[in-house]
Amino acid sequence: MRAKLKTSMIIPAIEITNLGKSFGSGRKKNQALLDLSLSIEQGEVFGFLGPNGAGKSTTIKLLLRFLKPDSGSLRIMGRTVGQDEFRHKIGYLSEFPVFYDHLTARETLLLSGRLSGMSRQAIDQRIPMLLDRMNLTEAANRRVGGFSKGMKQRLGMANALVHDPEVLIFDEPMSGLDPVGRHQIKKLIAELKQEGKTIFFSSHILSDIEALCDRIGIINKGVLLYSGGLGVFLASGNGLEERFVTLVEEANHASAA
Amino acid sequence: MQALRNIWFLALATCIEGIRHRALWAILGLAVLLTMANLGVTTLYSWDLGKVSVEFGLSAVAFTGLLLVFFLGMKILADDLERSRIFMLLSRPVSIWQYLAGKFLGLAFVLGLSTIILGVAAALSMRYVLWQYPAYVPPDFSWLTYVMALVCQWMSLVVVLAVSVLCFSFASQPFVALLLAVASYLVGQNMELLRRVVVENAYAGTLTGQENLVIALSWIFPNLSLFDKKYAAAYGMAFSGQEFMLLCLYGIFYSALLLYLATLLFKRKELA
Repeated sequence: MRAKLKTSMIIPAIEITNLGKSFGSGRKKNQALLDLSLSIEQGEVFGFLGPNGAGKSTTIKLLLRFLKPDSGSLRIMGRTVGQDEFRHKIGYLSEFPVFYDHLTARETLLLSGRLSGMSRQAIDQRIPMLLDRMNLTEAANRRVGGFSKGMKQRLGMANALVHDPEVLIFDEPMSGLDPVGRHQIKKLIAELKQEGKTIFFSSHILSDIEALCDRIGIINKGVLLYSGGLGVFLASGNGLEERFVTLVEEANHASAA
Repeated sequence: MQALRNIWFLALATCIEGIRHRALWAILGLAVLLTMANLGVTTLYSWDLGKVSVEFGLSAVAFTGLLLVFFLGMKILADDLERSRIFMLLSRPVSIWQYLAGKFLGLAFVLGLSTIILGVAAALSMRYVLWQYPAYVPPDFSWLTYVMALVCQWMSLVVVLAVSVLCFSFASQPFVALLLAVASYLVGQNMELLRRVVVENAYAGTLTGQENLVIALSWIFPNLSLFDKKYAAAYGMAFSGQEFMLLCLYGIFYSALLLYLATLLFKRKELA
C-alpha cells in the first residue's frame, strides 16, 4: 500500500517534455507547438488556457496519439505515448462529441465499456449509475442522433467515465452549452476532483478555469507562456481575465518585434 | 483475445448502425422494386424467360449491393473521420487494424444480410416465372448453383468493400476515396477481358506489346469478373465446388491483403 502510494506520488499523471509539432511544409509550414513542457500531478485539476488556435486541441490530440509529435515525448501515468498502451487509464471527451447516430445511449456506453476491456457484468452495473449521474436515465434507450448538444456532451462525459479511468482529458468540455448544461458539467468536474481523479481540460472560458483548477497552463501560438498555481498567477491582484489578456498581448508584441 | 473481442464489438456496432440506417432501407426498397420489375421485364421476352429471370434477379442483387458498398459503407467510414467519431473509438485501447477489421466485418455482415434478403426476393420472383412458364425452365437449372452464384456475388461485394476501405485509408477526402473505389471496381470488372484481349490477340491496338504490364495490372486489381456466375446460374452450367472454394479463398485472401495495406497506410495518417 505504502509502496503504491509512494509510486503514485512520484509519477506525474501527465508529463510532456519538449513537445514540438508542425503542420504542412515549406512556406505553408505552421508551427503548432514549440518546445512545450508540462507536468501534471496525480489528483490535480489542470486548466489549459489559450486563445483560439493556440495549440490546446493539438496538445490533446498528441496526448491521445491521434497526431504524432515532431519532437519531444509524452507520458501518461508513467507510460510513454506511442510505445506503451495507456488508453485504459484515460477518459477522453472531445469538444464536439460525436457518436453513432443509430445506437442508443445505453448501446454507446456498452460499446465503449467493452472496448475498454470491461466485463458485461461490470458494465451493466456501471451504465445505470452513470446515466443517472448525467440525468440521462430517461434517454437511455433513445437513439443518440436525436440528442441535443447538451445531452451529447453529458453522454460524452458518461462515455469518458464508463471504465472509471484515473486520468480525464477534456477538450473544451463546456463549449456550446447553455448555462444549465455548463453548471452540470462544472459540478461534475468538481465531484470528480473530490474523488481524486486527475483532470486535464482545455478551455477559454476563464470563469470555469478559475472555479475548478488547482493549476493552469497558458499557451499562445504554440508556446507555453505560464505553467503553475492559479493563486500565484493571480497574486498581482488583477482578475484572471485581465492577467491572461495582458500576458497574451505581451507575448504577441514580443513575437511581432 | 481482447483484440478479437474488440473486432467483434466494433463489427456488431457497425452492423447495427448499418441496419438501422435509413439508406439501407431505401436501397432495399429499391431492390424489392427491381425484383418486382423482374416479373414485368421477363414477360417482355418471348423465349428464354427462365434465363432472363435468373439473370435479372442476380443483377438486381449485384446492383443493390454496389449501392450499399459505395453509399452506405463509405458513408459510415467517412462519417467516422469527417465527424471525428473515430476519436471516440481510438481513445480506447483499440488498434488501427482492429478498428478497420471491425468496420470491414460489420459492413460485410450488412452486405451479407441484404444479399440474403435480396436473394430470397429474387428467388421468389424467379420461382414464380419458372412456375408460370415451365417450358422455359433452363435445362440443368439448379437452385444450388443459384445459391453458389449468390455467395460469389456477395464475395465480390466484400472485395469491393475491401478496396473501398483501402481507398478510404489513404485518400485525403471521402469523395476522392469514393471515386477511386468506383474506378477500381470498373477496372476490376473488365481486367480479365482486357488481359485476354492483349495476351491472346496480336492486334490489340496501343496495348500491343504491353502484355507484361497488363498481366502485372491484372494481378494488382481485383479480378471481379471471376465472381460473376450469373450465366452459370441462368444457363444451368456446371459450377464445381472446387472452383467455388477457390473463388472464396481468393476473395478472403485478397480482402485480407487489402486490409493489411489499409492498416499500414492508415497508421501514417494524422487524425487532425
